[in-house]
Order: sequence, then C-alpha cells, then structure tokens
Amino acid sequence: MKKTLQTIIHGPWAYWIGAIILGLLNILVLIVRRQPWGVTWNIEIWTEWIGTNLGVLSDRGFTLKGLMGASGTYLNLGLLLGAFWATLVASQVRFRPIRDKKFFFSALIGGLLMGYGARIAYGCNVGALLNGIASSSLTGWIFAIAVFLGTWLGSKLLLKYLM
Amino acid sequence: MSINSAFHSQRKWNIGFILFLTLLLVLLSQISIHLTLIMALGTSLGFVLQKSRFCLVSALRDPILLGMTQLTRAFLLLLGISILGFALVSWGASQRNIPLSLNVFPMGVHTVVGGLLFGIGMVLAGGCSTGIIIRIGEGFAMQMLAFFGLAVGSVLGERSLKNWRNTFGEWPGIFLPDVFGWIPTLILEIIVLSGLWQLARWWQKKQLGE
Amino acid sequence: MTRFSIDIWGEMCPIPLIKAKKKLSSMQCGDVLVLETEHSCTSRGIVVWAKANRYIIEEKEVANGIWHLELTKTHD
Repeated sequence: MKKTLQTIIHGPWAYWIGAIILGLLNILVLIVRRQPWGVTWNIEIWTEWIGTNLGVLSDRGFTLKGLMGASGTYLNLGLLLGAFWATLVASQVRFRPIRDKKFFFSALIGGLLMGYGARIAYGCNVGALLNGIASSSLTGWIFAIAVFLGTWLGSKLLLKYLM
Repeated sequence: MSINSAFHSQRKWNIGFILFLTLLLVLLSQISIHLTLIMALGTSLGFVLQKSRFCLVSALRDPILLGMTQLTRAFLLLLGISILGFALVSWGASQRNIPLSLNVFPMGVHTVVGGLLFGIGMVLAGGCSTGIIIRIGEGFAMQMLAFFGLAVGSVLGERSLKNWRNTFGEWPGIFLPDVFGWIPTLILEIIVLSGLWQLARWWQKKQLGE
Repeated sequence: MTRFSIDIWGEMCPIPLIKAKKKLSSMQCGDVLVLETEHSCTSRGIVVWAKANRYIIEEKEVANGIWHLELTKTHD
C-alpha cells in the first residue's frame, strides 16, 4: 500500500494508465469546451497580441479581454501548473539549465519548426494529430503519417548533429 | 525518505502551491464556472502527462531508434479511447441539438509539410507541444527556449497559411462518417489501430530478440 | 566485474540511452554501467529499455530530481 502511494506521488505511472486517464480527460474537455483540446492556436494568438503591443506585428484584433476569456488560455495555463505541481509533489523540481550550446540551437530551431508546422496544419500533436484522428477526420491520419516521417528525419538529424 | 543531505523535501512549497492553485480556481469561479472547469481539466492533463511521462516524440521515435514500442502502444490506446469517446459525445450532442465542433481540418500540401516540420522540430526541441509545456513545468531551460521558438514559429506559420493555400490549393476536410457512416468508420478505425498495436508489439519482440 | 560510467548529464533524451546502448555493447557480461541524470524521462526510458532487454537495472533518486542508475549487463 505504501509502495503504491509512493508510485502515485513520485511516478512514474504506467503508460497504459496514463493513456486511459488522458483519454477520459480529453473527452471531458470536448464535452465542457464544445470543441476538442488544442494547444497551439492559443499560443499563436497570445503571441500575436504581445507582438502587436511590442509594435512588431500588425494588429489582428486580439484583445487582452478576449484572450483572458478564451478557454485555450486556461487549458495551457492548467497544463503548465499541473506539470509543475506534479513535479513539486514528488519533490523533483529543479532548474535544469541548458548545458551545451548545441541544445540551445536545437531548442530554438526545433521550436520554430514545431510552431510553423503546427499552424500551417491547423494544429499540433494534440489538435491536429490526436484530436484530428479522434474526430474521425482523414486529415488527422494524413498529418499523423507526416509527423511520423518527420520524426524519422529529425532522428537522423539528431544522430548526426547532436550526439 | 533519505538521510542524504542533497534531498530537500519540497513539501512546504507543495502546500503553498496547492493553496495558490485553489485560490486561482476560486477567483476564476467568480468570473466563470466554465473557465474554472477548463482550468481544472488542464491542470489534470498536465499532472497526468508528467506523472506518466507520456511523450509523443518517444512514441514515434523509439520504435525506429531503439526498437521499443511501449509508448507507441499506449498512444494507440489513447487514440482508440478518444475516437470512441468523441463519436459518442458528437452523436449525443447532435441528438440534443447542442452545437459541437470537431477537428476536421482542411488539408493540402501544407498539411503534409506541416507534419514533417512538426516531426523534425519536436525531435530537435526535445518534446511535442504538450511535452514542451510539461518540461517547462519540470524546470527545463531548454524547453523554455523551445517554447519561445514555438510561439514565434506559430505566428510565422499562421501568417503564411494564405500563401500556402494560394500556391498549392486546399481541400475541405473529410469527415469519415459522412463518407462511410458512423459504425463502419468506427469499426475501420478500431481495426486499423488494433492492427498497428499488434504491429508495434511484434516489432518490439523482433527488435529486442525476445 | 568492472564498473563503467559515462557522462550523460544534461543531454537531451534519447541521447543518453543511445550512448548507454553503445557503451553496453563494448562491455562484458557482469559489468556495470553507472549513470546519473536529472531528466525524469531519460531515467524512466533507461529503466524501461533495460527491463525490456532483460538487463538488471537499479534506479534511485539521490537528490531532488536527480536519478542514479546502475545497469548490469547480463547477456550479450
């Protein structure tokens, strides 16, 4: 019993348990939000708003009030706080700095590619892949295959440049 | 738990954080119950993702690099549950005339290019969209930087959509139940997922020489 | 029975596991590979991989969010 409690607090939880709970939560988000869970649209519009206020992007009409009232904001914020809390509960919080220059570049380039790729496909691993397929949309399956190929290409790059 | 002095219990921080989170939810509930529920769901998602170390990059990368498919299979399970759940909710909503939108996105060359770029990017960044956010929560500076890149990239991507559409065209998304009907679609999708699951299990057995 | 260690500190996953796999292939049966990481996924990944390959693996959290691993090569 104590060991189970330890595992619940410290993790890691079994992958299949994670899959079931995540699946149920995913469905709950659909019910509450009336649209599927997504991550990158909200990031994009916040960035638009910040960019407009910094004077580097043309105004596309996003307001702070609108952003603060958007469900996506709270999904992403919750995601961050939930992950932090999970780490804190296990006393595993620690600042982990970038320890090699190569990871600085791969993080930045990787992030740019992810953001760009996600928005031209209308979503990321959650919105377009998981929930595209979950929505019984053919686009989702096509995107999934493309991401799989991309992962393969990315792995080749990783082995060549980041080892 | 350990007499090692390198171990500091973060319990006080934990209690403080729980209070903070509760306060946040209470404040939010004064504005909107709907948003409070959403935030609670988001928090739960983040919590479970971290605890189960769920990682899409690993699910897609490890079969090739290491011959391991545990996460791949778990992800297929997640897909299966989501497909069935979404179908049920969508059907239930249409019965009650509740408006509900599903992610049936238009597709074009940019869908494939987007997927390729996303796949490459997530390997280089060390996480998918959710993975990045989870690792920020754990304290990884690398993913904080990746998030910045993601934010900038997302704006560039969004603003370039028009160009992609104009250059290569775009087709409306295909909602499979419209084509095959709900039951055949669901059966087909579950069969495909089960097939992939079996394939994944066989692949690992073969790669690891069991 | 020799003890080896490789530095995987701060490496993004899956690099630690690939390095460990490479090192392991040059080791003898009964040798032990010692690793330390601050990444939860890396630690978990190594444990899962070791178990799937039927090696002996010991994982211990030695400080807040730092894991110490000992991987014993049991077969080629």
